[in-house]
Amino acid sequence: MKHDQPQLIDALASEYVLGTLRGAARRRFERWQSEEWHIASRVRTWEARLIPLALGLPPIAPSQELWQRIEARIRAADASRTDTPPRRAARPALRALAAVLVLCALFAGGYVAWRMTESLRLQTVATIKGAQGPLVWSIELDSRGERLRAVALPGAAAQPGHSFELWALPPGKGAPVSLGLLPDAGQLERTLTVAQRAALASATQVAVSLEPPGGSPTGAPTGPVLFVAALKRA
Amino acid sequence: MSNTDAATRMDDELAPLVHACAARDRQALRKIYDLMAAQMLASMMRILRRRALAEEALQDVFVSIWQRAAQFEGARGSARIWLMAIARHRAIDVLRSERVDLYREADVEQMPEPAIEGISDWSSAGRSAAALARCFQELTGEQRRGIELAFVNGYSHADIARVTGEPLGTIKSWIRRGLASLRACLER
Repeated sequence: MKHDQPQLIDALASEYVLGTLRGAARRRFERWQSEEWHIASRVRTWEARLIPLALGLPPIAPSQELWQRIEARIRAADASRTDTPPRRAARPALRALAAVLVLCALFAGGYVAWRMTESLRLQTVATIKGAQGPLVWSIELDSRGERLRAVALPGAAAQPGHSFELWALPPGKGAPVSLGLLPDAGQLERTLTVAQRAALASATQVAVSLEPPGGSPTGAPTGPVLFVAALKRA
Repeated sequence: MSNTDAATRMDDELAPLVHACAARDRQALRKIYDLMAAQMLASMMRILRRRALAEEALQDVFVSIWQRAAQFEGARGSARIWLMAIARHRAIDVLRSERVDLYREADVEQMPEPAIEGISDWSSAGRSAAALARCFQELTGEQRRGIELAFVNGYSHADIARVTGEPLGTIKSWIRRGLASLRACLER
């Protein structure tokens, strides 16, 4: 495709901003845009034209803890910027030192990546089953307790007009905390909120209740509790 | 005071905050978050339809603002548009990435059907939004619907063909002609 056809560029810029330019064409257009200012300027023009549409939507407040998560990521990003070793060493001795440092960094990086995949590996923490019936769901958690995956097992069956919701049951008389909906089939994975993580860390059991579609409207179980299962600790 | 003034004032407030981010001022980023995060999330939720996924993408957006703040050229445009553009492009990228596969249909939130006529507060989006609203009225119903579904819900041509039951080629032509008419109207 030619870069020098103003009408074509304008049409591509408009579909890029609209969001209908997808896949490889989108990537290619982003590359052109970063290389050629006149293409970038067509994009800015279309953004100014269309984005006011998005500013008219009713706002949706983010979760309480989202800012803390952003701040943590920014601290991490800034720390890795200042830790970067100098790009070019002035003298051979320094260059050798730099090479050693880079090797160390590579090993350290590999180790960190290995530890990360280790901690992201999910382990089964609860198996939900009926009194005599087959297994219904397996609940898995990564070692940091941040990601939860619910896998529907052969006993899972959709209840038309209802959703299944998973709850962390705190010890004592505390209120159950929702861990989200369970899949009728397949699996469902999600990042837990700080409150959910805390509830799960102190809980000894999980429960499943039958709720209206989309889950409990009140934040507490409203339908019958169908299953209770013990939480296994790693 | 009119809402258009409020939109201009918001831009006047945001631009120095973006420049302060370029100078590594975290408080400035927090203020941008307070002013814009809910508006960004609204747009990203329409496209991604899962709160967890949209909030994860919103984190990426703020990291990106922090890293790219120096690229913002205040003289060449509105800070609100610049910020919203980052949010929208991120949402569209996530939509087609593998991350979306981690979240299944059960997580999808029911969002109302888009209707540009129904957007409550055009004027709060500024003068350019008022012009856009006027020009939308000049499109055919089909062109308007195609552009709404693409822009507000992040639908691809194929998605729109599916929900409207029209052939893909027809959808592409609605959108192409709709965008051309919008341009002609906005340039008048």
